[in-house]
Amino acid sequence: MHVLTAIVYILHTGAKGGGGFLNDFLLAIGFGLITASILALSTVALSLQFSVTNIPNFAHGEIMTAGAYGAWVTQSVTHNVFLAGVVACVMGGVLALFLNSAILAPFARSGAKRLVLFILTIASGLVLQHVILLIFGGANLPYSLPSSPARRIGPFILTDRSLAIIGAAVVVMVGVHLILRYTKFGKAQRAVADSRELARVSGIDSALIVRLTWLMAGAMGGLAGFVLGVSIGSLTPTLGYTFLLVVFAAAIVGGIGKPYGAMLGALLIGLAMEVSALYLPSDYKLVVAFAFLIVTLLIRPSGLFPSFQGARA
Amino acid sequence: MITYIASVLTLGTIFAILALALNVRYGWTGELDISLFAFVAIGAYVSAVTTLPPSKLPLPNHYILGLSQPFLLGVAYAMIVCGLLSLLVGSIALRSLRGDHFAITTVATTLIIYAVISQNTYIFNGFAGVYGLPEPFNGMLDLGPDGYSLFYLGLCLVALLLVYLFLERLYHSPFGRALRSTREDEVASAAFGRNVYWLKLQGYAVGGVIAGMGGALLAHFLTAFNPYAWDTAEVFLLYAAIFVGGVGNQRGVLMGTVFVIVLIQEATRFLPLIPGHADAQSAIRFILIGLLIIGVLKWRPQGLLPEPRARDPRTLAPVERTAALAGGAHESS
Repeated sequence: MHVLTAIVYILHTGAKGGGGFLNDFLLAIGFGLITASILALSTVALSLQFSVTNIPNFAHGEIMTAGAYGAWVTQSVTHNVFLAGVVACVMGGVLALFLNSAILAPFARSGAKRLVLFILTIASGLVLQHVILLIFGGANLPYSLPSSPARRIGPFILTDRSLAIIGAAVVVMVGVHLILRYTKFGKAQRAVADSRELARVSGIDSALIVRLTWLMAGAMGGLAGFVLGVSIGSLTPTLGYTFLLVVFAAAIVGGIGKPYGAMLGALLIGLAMEVSALYLPSDYKLVVAFAFLIVTLLIRPSGLFPSFQGARA
Repeated sequence: MITYIASVLTLGTIFAILALALNVRYGWTGELDISLFAFVAIGAYVSAVTTLPPSKLPLPNHYILGLSQPFLLGVAYAMIVCGLLSLLVGSIALRSLRGDHFAITTVATTLIIYAVISQNTYIFNGFAGVYGLPEPFNGMLDLGPDGYSLFYLGLCLVALLLVYLFLERLYHSPFGRALRSTREDEVASAAFGRNVYWLKLQGYAVGGVIAGMGGALLAHFLTAFNPYAWDTAEVFLLYAAIFVGGVGNQRGVLMGTVFVIVLIQEATRFLPLIPGHADAQSAIRFILIGLLIIGVLKWRPQGLLPEPRARDPRTLAPVERTAALAGGAHESS
């Protein structure tokens, strides 16, 4: 927060034409927080699932898309936003569980290499994305919630919907933290992440923990897809796929397999993308995220942030 | 009819060249490259702006160069530019980034190149792309549509043959063997004094040069090129061909290409059209590709024509079994 105040101060004194630029900047920060929230939901899921299962899941984007379409269908039928969110979670969770049980687990059991498992997730994502295309068609499906009033909170102007998105992300992040630190399940997850063999020797049902982790990551992914669709205002079958590389960028910047790093990575990438839109055409937002990704991989492949003691899940 | 059949065969031939290029990158080096179509596109654009006259489009629409040079020089420039770009991208992506990190870096690279080319109307005219490319050699041949389509098919077949013969030689050369040794066991290869990074980078560049050639052939076949002509997901069609045929083996890859093209690319054209659903065919195509990749990896991971292996079965069999077991346990932990 101090850094932010300092930046605001510098911009305030440095801005020539008064508050115009500052307003734009704060607006961008506000957008950045929303992007970061969506990103955090998705990235923490990806990173947590990677740390426990050791599979980089390229179908994660399609799990998000499926969650978003599930929510859209639910809301068209019931007109209930909360039910839509729940369906998004269930949809994502069930798909992730299916991906693991039907496709990945049999390969992993027969000792397939990680690259093969990675290719399998790519192929599964390809199938899922085009099943959605086949069912719903490629045209934009408008998904707009009733407009909500904007309010001024500190220096930011945010709508109720944006506040709900940020709130949901914060609640889920705190939830993940509590699960990892204080529950038996979280402890078991961390044990399996460290060594599946040792966890099994100490009486942990590794296969069950892996399944539950897929379920949890899938549910978070589905929720992230729902929130992404709502904030964009329309759905396409490539919704999650286009977002996925940004998710990977945030996960890698935060150190892939480190859920807490993923949160910081999401914040950094989310803010960087929206603030960059002040200076560059907004189509280059993705390029900014990928630049972070590539620079991180070059200088510090383990993630830009130092590991916290015991924070590796 | 002749034009139609020739165009299907021409696309298939170009597709085979691209599959061979990808096979060098993935099959020989063992690194999952998803950026191949970025190089195909760069090759296509470079050959286009080499052969086209200078841009007279109203600004901001514009394409660079416009050298009005003959087709073969366009192909040569495309190959050179793609080779250099491969060295640049590969030197970043292969530096201590292997496996899934490498794959993700190549996806990111592709999307960056795609964003820059499609958004910036000054380089290759953005989404509108380049069009009106001259038909190679038709200035002096002066053939009709049927005759010319057959001539171009012949041209592509000659290119495919040259690529195939070149790669067969390269495969059995010391370089080819050293490169494949890094795929099998990086540590052992390094212990025998091989520079793994440099070998893989060379392999990546060879694939890029061939992809550039394929791109040039593709652009002059279509006589136009724009960002809609290359979808990053198309690379999985090539992967399906490689997996079906047999990773690493040139003949297998050619067979897989025929299989995938006949079964998926062409057969799905004859599906009944669903009214009001323009994307159904392409959706079904990609669903089949995905299922095919999963199925082949599950039931026949070595492909229809497995890569022949040089080994002594008498001594290697028990050792290999142990090594495979140990390696498997290590990988899955």
